[in-house]
Amino acid sequence: MITRRFVLLAAALMALPRAAFAKGKPAGKDALLYFVWPQDGATIKGAFWCRFGLRGMGVTHAGDNYQNSGHHHLLVDVDEPLNPDEPIPQDKAHMHFGAGQTEARIELPPGKHTLQLVLGDAEHYPFVPPVVSKKITIRIK
Amino acid sequence: MLPWGSRASFRGRTIIHVGKHGIAMRGEIRDINSSKGANPPDSSVPRRLAAIMAGDIAAYSRLMQLDEEGTHARVKRIERDLIEPTIREHHGRLVKTTGDGFIAIFDSPVEAVRCGIVIQQNMVGRNTSQPRLQWIEFRIGINLGDVIIDTEDVFGDGVNIAARLEGLAEPGEVYISGGIYEQIKHKIVCGYESLGDRKVKNITDPIRVYRVLPDPAAFNRTRARRQNTLIISLSLLLLAGAGGVLWYFIAQTRSNIRYQTAAVETSPTLPSPAESQTAPPIAPAAPQPAPATVPDTQPATPPAAAKAVSEPEMITLPGGTFAMGSNDDSTEKPIHQVTLKRFAIGKYPVSVREWNACAEAKACTFTATGKDEAPITNISWSDAKQFAAWLAETTGKSYRLPTEAEWEYAARGGTRTKYWWGEQLQPGLAGCKNCTEVAMAELPSKVGSFKANPFGLYDMGGTIDQWVEDCWHKNYQGAPTDGSAWTEDSCPSHVLRSGSWRNDARYVRPSNRDSYDTNVRYPTHGFRIALTP
Repeated sequence: MITRRFVLLAAALMALPRAAFAKGKPAGKDALLYFVWPQDGATIKGAFWCRFGLRGMGVTHAGDNYQNSGHHHLLVDVDEPLNPDEPIPQDKAHMHFGAGQTEARIELPPGKHTLQLVLGDAEHYPFVPPVVSKKITIRIK
Repeated sequence: MLPWGSRASFRGRTIIHVGKHGIAMRGEIRDINSSKGANPPDSSVPRRLAAIMAGDIAAYSRLMQLDEEGTHARVKRIERDLIEPTIREHHGRLVKTTGDGFIAIFDSPVEAVRCGIVIQQNMVGRNTSQPRLQWIEFRIGINLGDVIIDTEDVFGDGVNIAARLEGLAEPGEVYISGGIYEQIKHKIVCGYESLGDRKVKNITDPIRVYRVLPDPAAFNRTRARRQNTLIISLSLLLLAGAGGVLWYFIAQTRSNIRYQTAAVETSPTLPSPAESQTAPPIAPAAPQPAPATVPDTQPATPPAAAKAVSEPEMITLPGGTFAMGSNDDSTEKPIHQVTLKRFAIGKYPVSVREWNACAEAKACTFTATGKDEAPITNISWSDAKQFAAWLAETTGKSYRLPTEAEWEYAARGGTRTKYWWGEQLQPGLAGCKNCTEVAMAELPSKVGSFKANPFGLYDMGGTIDQWVEDCWHKNYQGAPTDGSAWTEDSCPSHVLRSGSWRNDARYVRPSNRDSYDTNVRYPTHGFRIALTP
């Protein structure tokens, strides 16, 4: 466990010189980010409540620097890899839940979409290592 | 494919999922006073101040009747997987468990309440997979009190009050006493609803009870409901009073209004660039500020000796009618006609220097670092409102945030095209990720780094996201057509305009709109100021 901490710390430190902005907080050990709903491959009619699950870490308000906690981001149809040195982008494909929401009503146009959760720290940076969910694919009827 | 037009409406439940960090040893948990118990050499009973949490399962007997063994097993599992580890993670100690409940103590009221919220919200998640009848719902009460701690139990008035609070609580809720409330009110992001003083069994003095609302939106809904009648009666009273004052103003400004109407009629709907550029970048010219449209912080009369403060450069725009919205995105539909009155808007986004003047006056909450002339960033909507209120107060002028309609009208600069310069993206006219020859890597170091639009306004699209007064609505269905802000009593998210240096060209369009949580800061968010002349 201690070695693990060191590895994380070392990883965080090594990330520092790469970019002046790399300042993600260390992730909780055994943190698991997942979709409570919908499930991978689900077909959904119309709008739906997307529910975010997180184990091993806590959810807090963006800006609050509590240890081992962060806030959710939902990435819709995002293909670009996550840049660990930048705050998680804010646009129509990167939805932010900085008030500590753990669910959201989502409306997507009909068709296939991918969803992925990313946990951000107080400053919206991904954790180190990033706490991300599996990318799931859903179909909207 | 991007979900262009996809939106999330937020329900701010702060459900916190807590990890299962193994099973705690009972001895370890019960070991609440080992540190104390081992030390005190004196025979006096050890007393201490603690936050006491009492929890029990609502309708436990009904659940047992339904399925005795199943319920017992589920309750035990919840205790093992959720209650015990959560209490431990919040530095609390489980003192005892009863068949359907538990008592825990915490050194910190903040941790105690946070723990209560975690338990409750985790239970929501656990229950969703079960039929309604089989839901296990806890009621939780938390009190701050002086207690006597024994190896197996904890005693004192404080414990009884916690238990009474728990009895008052609705299933799935956390009720706290006044003492706890005083300790945590500014420390935990959630709402609190005061339930007033309650007399409880066998406790002499009534206790002040608060209901914890982990979702601030729920808090506001409750408050709105409760205060509605009050507000209505109050506003009726105010209206009666304001009527007289208004009459006076109308009489006084009638000539002025006549002048404005004329201006709207004579000024073409689409003023030409040349014409609008000649619009003098003046500050307020109207003889009377219009108090009705001013934030309520605006004093009735300007302070006699307003402190000298450098005001943002403003450009006054004539009123007019324009087509707001577009068919490019579902959030921008339907296109609708909006007629606005004359207003002034900041020539640039608010800069670091301007913001820091507010911070120095202790009216804005933080001092920004960065170049003086760079746009201020990392601003929440509430921060922007603070700045506007401060500026209005120190200058005695009706400074405020622009409305969404005003922003778009100003950004279009009299044009109806996709961008203010035409239908096609042209490099170098705005600050966005792919609007320039060389991709923008960072925020421009100075406001006004790109070309001004036909109204002479800079950074209306790109550079920095800008807050406006309006609450977020997912489209314009039901939007006002008089240029006023579309607001509700309280809304969890507000509208952002302009897009930033980190967004692509689609966000630079004057009709583009986006939303963000009202109280959350983000590094690409800033604002500009408006003024009712």
